[in-house]
Amino acid sequence: MPHKWAMVIDLDRCTGCEACVVACHAENNIPTAGEDQAARGRTKHWIRVERYWEGEFPNARIRFQPVLCQQCDAAPCEPVCPTYASYHTSEGLNAQVYNRCVGTRFCANACPYNVRFFNFYNPVWEKPLNLQLNPDVSVREVGIMEKCTFCVQRIHGAEIQAEAEKRELKDGEFNPACVQSCSPKAMVFGDLNDPASEVSRLAKSGRNTKLLGELGTLPNVNYLERNS
Amino acid sequence: MRALNDRGKWLVIAVLGVGLFIFAAKTVPFGHAQTQVTTPSPSQAPGRVGATQTGDSDVFTTDHHSAIAAMRDFLGLRSQPVQPIAFPHKTHLANNLKCLDCHAGADVGPDAAIPSVKFCMTCHLVIATDKPEIKKVAAFQARHEDIPWVRVYNYSQYAHVRFNHAPHIRANVACATCHGDLTKQTTAQRVVNLDMGYCLTCHEQRQAPIDCQTCHF
Repeated sequence: MPHKWAMVIDLDRCTGCEACVVACHAENNIPTAGEDQAARGRTKHWIRVERYWEGEFPNARIRFQPVLCQQCDAAPCEPVCPTYASYHTSEGLNAQVYNRCVGTRFCANACPYNVRFFNFYNPVWEKPLNLQLNPDVSVREVGIMEKCTFCVQRIHGAEIQAEAEKRELKDGEFNPACVQSCSPKAMVFGDLNDPASEVSRLAKSGRNTKLLGELGTLPNVNYLERNS
Repeated sequence: MRALNDRGKWLVIAVLGVGLFIFAAKTVPFGHAQTQVTTPSPSQAPGRVGATQTGDSDVFTTDHHSAIAAMRDFLGLRSQPVQPIAFPHKTHLANNLKCLDCHAGADVGPDAAIPSVKFCMTCHLVIATDKPEIKKVAAFQARHEDIPWVRVYNYSQYAHVRFNHAPHIRANVACATCHGDLTKQTTAQRVVNLDMGYCLTCHEQRQAPIDCQTCHF
């Protein structure tokens, strides 16, 4: 396995600004659901920022936690897919093949993180807003599941560029949209198979936890616990 | 016995119904290419997403604009493109032009460019200016319009294929492998059926990755 993509999110640094959510929507052609669809629970956010209150007012504190697809090594969404649309790539990514998906939604039921989203409607952009769509990413139609891809289009783009220049990928050379937009640098993305990478260094931290790690899904997103 | 007859009857009705629908889809001229001819907006043609869009709609959506269009898409039926200018590829190639001279960028990025009318006129300001087709090109430039070329090769939007020219050209795949022998064509016609089997045969022979997410994402 040449690469093992992983992410580290430092919860001490996250300010809950939701820049990652906005960047993800822009990068991955995710439509906004609108009032009616949102009321029916049909919003799509490949990454969301969960908010928890600690203590009572006036001594209340807020804890933020960005939640995206954990790219599990033992992903519960994969074995339940009858069409093999949800599968594991050779680089350890948990992929969704849109043209294979028939929309059974078994994967969304199996996912303990609620990070898989069904297209209940055909996305609509009023012209000329469609011109801001990212040409490197599909626009998913009604009836199929979608989820965070770790910005696989950027991974491919960087790999193709490195191959053209006949060199190895450098650590931090490219980042998913959420990591790139994170102004407090709470999110770090990289290759766990490279022991010198920033993500390998941070993953060895004593503060490292996995979200719902007790379920045995072996997530590739690491959360660094809050010290403060 | 009675039940079998009933089943037989419904089978005949179903086959006739599907047959009629396929016949309608084939004969009613409502394909992508022809709807795009009627739209003069050049920004429509090169777009990689929204291949099924009509030009007059106020919104962009992944929805098909009619049931016939959906059926044609499902069956993979596409009309041959009709271009606004009878562009002779063979004449240009016979004059020792290379594909990349006009379709620039294919060796470094995902897209092979369609040259702008200005690019055509850099040569045709002086070459063959008396030909009727060249006069049409000059007229487009005089009106400050781009030529509304109709896209020849693209994948169905529902195939979710993200194709990148550059790695293929670096792997020495000849343009003609996927686009046919243009030295024999005037306007480009869809002569190669670029289905997944065609891609995979070559990928397997050359031991290129055949992971789904190599192309579908």
